[in-house]
Amino acid sequence: MEIKSILIANRGEIAVRVINTARKMGIESWVIKTSKEPNAFYLTQADHIIDFSDHTEEISEFLDIEAIIKAMKDNNISAVHPGYGFLAESPIFAERCDDEKIIYIGPSADAIYRMGNKTIAKELARKHKVPLLGGSKGNLSSPDEAVKIANEIGYPVILKAASGGGGRGMRIVEEEKNVAKMFKMASSEAEKAFNDPDVFVEKYVRNPRHIEFQIFGDKHGNIIHLGERECSVQRKHQKLIEESPSAVLDEKLRKKMGAAAINIAKSVDYFSAGTVEFLLDDKMEFSFMEMNTRIQVEHPVTEMITGLDLIEWQIRIARGEELPLKQKDVKINGWAIEYRINAEDVQGGFSPSLGVIEKISLPRSKNIRIDSGVVEGSSITSYFDSMVAKLIVHGENREKAILYSQNALKKFWIKGIKTTIPFCNAVLLNKNFRKGKYDTSFLTKEMTKHYHEGQDDEMLAAFFATYDFVKEIENVENKPVDFDKGKNIAPWVLKKRLKSL
Amino acid sequence: MANHNGKTEKEKFYACSTKGKKFEVVNPLGEIVKVKGKKLDMQIVEDPDSFTYIIYKKKKYHIEILEKSQNKYTVMINGVWYNFSIETPISYKRMKTLSKVQVVSRIENIMAPMPGKILDIMVEENGEIKEGEPLFILEAMKMQNEIVSNVSGKVKKINIKNNDSVMKDDVMIEIEKA
Repeated sequence: MEIKSILIANRGEIAVRVINTARKMGIESWVIKTSKEPNAFYLTQADHIIDFSDHTEEISEFLDIEAIIKAMKDNNISAVHPGYGFLAESPIFAERCDDEKIIYIGPSADAIYRMGNKTIAKELARKHKVPLLGGSKGNLSSPDEAVKIANEIGYPVILKAASGGGGRGMRIVEEEKNVAKMFKMASSEAEKAFNDPDVFVEKYVRNPRHIEFQIFGDKHGNIIHLGERECSVQRKHQKLIEESPSAVLDEKLRKKMGAAAINIAKSVDYFSAGTVEFLLDDKMEFSFMEMNTRIQVEHPVTEMITGLDLIEWQIRIARGEELPLKQKDVKINGWAIEYRINAEDVQGGFSPSLGVIEKISLPRSKNIRIDSGVVEGSSITSYFDSMVAKLIVHGENREKAILYSQNALKKFWIKGIKTTIPFCNAVLLNKNFRKGKYDTSFLTKEMTKHYHEGQDDEMLAAFFATYDFVKEIENVENKPVDFDKGKNIAPWVLKKRLKSL
Repeated sequence: MANHNGKTEKEKFYACSTKGKKFEVVNPLGEIVKVKGKKLDMQIVEDPDSFTYIIYKKKKYHIEILEKSQNKYTVMINGVWYNFSIETPISYKRMKTLSKVQVVSRIENIMAPMPGKILDIMVEENGEIKEGEPLFILEAMKMQNEIVSNVSGKVKKINIKNNDSVMKDDVMIEIEKA
């Protein structure tokens, strides 16, 4: 199967990321322009643009399956890459592509469907002897059943929507008397949010680590893994910092978990990139959580330590090629950490920080990779998620990676919006993070303050505000310009004035 | 101001943070700047078309004024922001006096902490509400945020309905404090 052109049904940094690989492989790239972001950076990088500016449907441009399919047919585009989010895990979209003989760069519609449904996915894991948390075998039929099973497995338990994900549609229950009530709430919530009222219950692990395995399969039945990623630095189930490898996995556990991940993937004849997520408790017991049937935001940490291009692999596998490597040939080199640079006000409870990026200055080094969706002049709007860029830092070991990260973050300057950089600085200074001793409770338990402020920051800010205030008054009082004044002002002020002449 | 009537060294200001910290700044535009009585040895590199930064103790500090209105400033330094009001010794005295006689309002305005869409409202007008109880669900950037009441009292007025799009700091709900 030949791929001459790819539509990237996505935006932001992931669109740019896919375009770069397509260009490298000599494949034409197409992207969708929306009226919400008519001047976005990704549009300037693609070979061709499809204009969806007139799109008036209530549904987002990137979710409108029929409009996207039609655009691909009209323009004779051979393949589609969904990126992450939007249509990345829609079995309907994958199937529609099959119907229209468009190559979907991702797994089969069947694999997406079965892994997307938590109940079916758990059943498959159980059949293939992958460790699972105790809980209901399938969906709950009544509040009474929820109470009965919760009492069997012991508290706390968690009620989860079968079609949920990303932290939505979940409720933790600590005692029997709340189970029935919470079951009803979770079910009606799931109905509203995912159009599917099905809920199941399982044992709730307090403060687990979130460890996921990158797996890859081809259409010839080969499946391998590319090691794990540790994603325990989260806020409200949203990942903020990811690293690979994990500081707590030894070779034995890595082998065991990797084999389990491959087994899960085999159960649905998986091909393309996928991620198997596990919870790891404090006794180093792991259990299967879910499988994401797409490329992940954090895939660059795996690329940094394996030296591979996972998007290229996805495209080659979609063309029908075999996996380029065998499991034994996968080599892990050093350590990589990724920081999500989000347009968020950490001091204001991580609320979105909207605005225009007036100026941006990025660190540069051979150890650093930046996947960015923005340039100077880019607008951050409330239409899309808040991630503007990812900083990925590689080191020979974890210690070095942390050190290089601190230096890189110092040189990462953005003017015009607030970002999560002060948060990253605070994490890197945390004693337990530095030791690799952290789990998903890290943010709430370990971090009393979510941002780092330098010793002299506030004093210098106070001075600068005063300086600007007095300067403004001066400007008003001293018009026209009094050239004799130059004699009495400090050299650094003069420098600025000369510049502005 | 700095050079009027030969008062070059004595210009004194206070930058007062919203958290109650006070920084005394002497002669901010002069050659020798003093903050809290200590000489501030630094250099400002200002460029309206690029970044402005301060070099202090051999370190670079990226500095940016996010907002200013009269004497109220929000300044961001290396990504961390601070609010200040700039006062002269006279206005500082007046501010101190005024803050003592300010009347405390009985109405608490619950404002949108971020722009977004209202998904659900859990309270009704004239209903009682306790501190920490949820008021409404605000969806922003794909996340559902439960907004809880920071006071106990009676719901006086609801200015929103389901599916409303709201801006940051719009008043959503007014609560009469108990």
